[in-house]
Amino acid sequence: MLGLHWGSDGPGGGAAPAAGSVDAGFALDMQAHHRQAVQMSTLVRDRAEDEDVRTLALDIALTQQQQAGQMYGWRELWGLGQGRTEPVMAWMSGLEGHAAGGHGGHVGAVPAEGLGAVGDMPGMASAAQMDALAAADGEDAARIFLQLMIPHHVAGVEMARAAAQEASEPEVRALADAMATGQEAELTVLRDMLAERGGPVPGV
Amino acid sequence: MASPTRPREERAARAAALREQQARRERRQRGLIIGVTAGIVVALVAAVTVVLVVTREQRATEQAALEAPVDGVQTFEDLGREHVTGEVDYAQTPPVGGDHNAVWWNCGVYSEPVPDVNAVHSLEHGAVWITYDPSLPQDQVDALVAAAEPYDYTLVSPYAGMESPVTLSAWGTQLAVEDASDERIAPFLAQYVQGEQTPEPGAACTGGLS
Repeated sequence: MLGLHWGSDGPGGGAAPAAGSVDAGFALDMQAHHRQAVQMSTLVRDRAEDEDVRTLALDIALTQQQQAGQMYGWRELWGLGQGRTEPVMAWMSGLEGHAAGGHGGHVGAVPAEGLGAVGDMPGMASAAQMDALAAADGEDAARIFLQLMIPHHVAGVEMARAAAQEASEPEVRALADAMATGQEAELTVLRDMLAERGGPVPGV
Repeated sequence: MASPTRPREERAARAAALREQQARRERRQRGLIIGVTAGIVVALVAAVTVVLVVTREQRATEQAALEAPVDGVQTFEDLGREHVTGEVDYAQTPPVGGDHNAVWWNCGVYSEPVPDVNAVHSLEHGAVWITYDPSLPQDQVDALVAAAEPYDYTLVSPYAGMESPVTLSAWGTQLAVEDASDERIAPFLAQYVQGEQTPEPGAACTGGLS
């Protein structure tokens, strides 16, 4: 009874994930999280001259935009669309310990009622921080981009790990696992790049 | 007085009787403890089950309310999609589609009016545009902003000259409401933000003008 899905039949013949599932919540919220990474990347592409930073930004933008497309497609196939019927991050309430291997992680406790705004998601840059990036150029823009993308990736890894462990659909788990691994590797690059450019490297 | 003939046997018998009594009492106590514990466990499981079932039913009801067709939504056909420079004379106030500027307006909350020709491009990308009369009380404006907060594909801006105090627009779609507490606002957002009406699915609402 407690494991029943209340959704429609999915493409695999089994029941599609319901709106309140880990799969559906991750697919919706991670799209928004990815969109900000794409936004940050396009801003720094237009403002920095550092080719290494610009290339990394393009890489992040293209990858995350495509992944957002995959998540968009899943929700369409599950009959859920892109509309919100669950609070932001409610799918992750109670999963944080698992995701960080029981060490608590940086995401912190997500309340059962979720978060109020997409902007409140862990690792998201604030409007003021995005404005600072948009107003900067050259080396400053590169540094701000790296400083913002590091906590963004740290939170992204935790969200992806939670989904990789708890989602019911194998496709969701597989892509979430790839996101976690990929962003974990990019974190090393981001931290090294920022240290080479004078830091400070965020302590997350 | 007890018979003195076999005092040891009598004492033994009494002791055995006492032990028997003690054992019966302990069995009764154990039975009572087990029974009460089992009863508590059953009651707890029942209570938790009821709460879970009721909560799931509530959530299902809330979800169904968000997905049910919204009363009063108007739809419009034959909207142009060309990129033009300069102004466009739109048939609706605010516009719900038609020819538009090559650059969209970034999703977000604005305290000044947003140009029609850019906002329409945002609608083409799947945004819902929430417009309110400039005289709308601040607490209602705050309520509209709060309704939009869970999304990153909405525009909120003042708009003079509308027939209703608040209007919600998506591409080819419009809902006029009297105030920010209208219960149709949440379902409209849930159904039309990046909804099926979106001519360009996947298009961005950042990277444009603001």
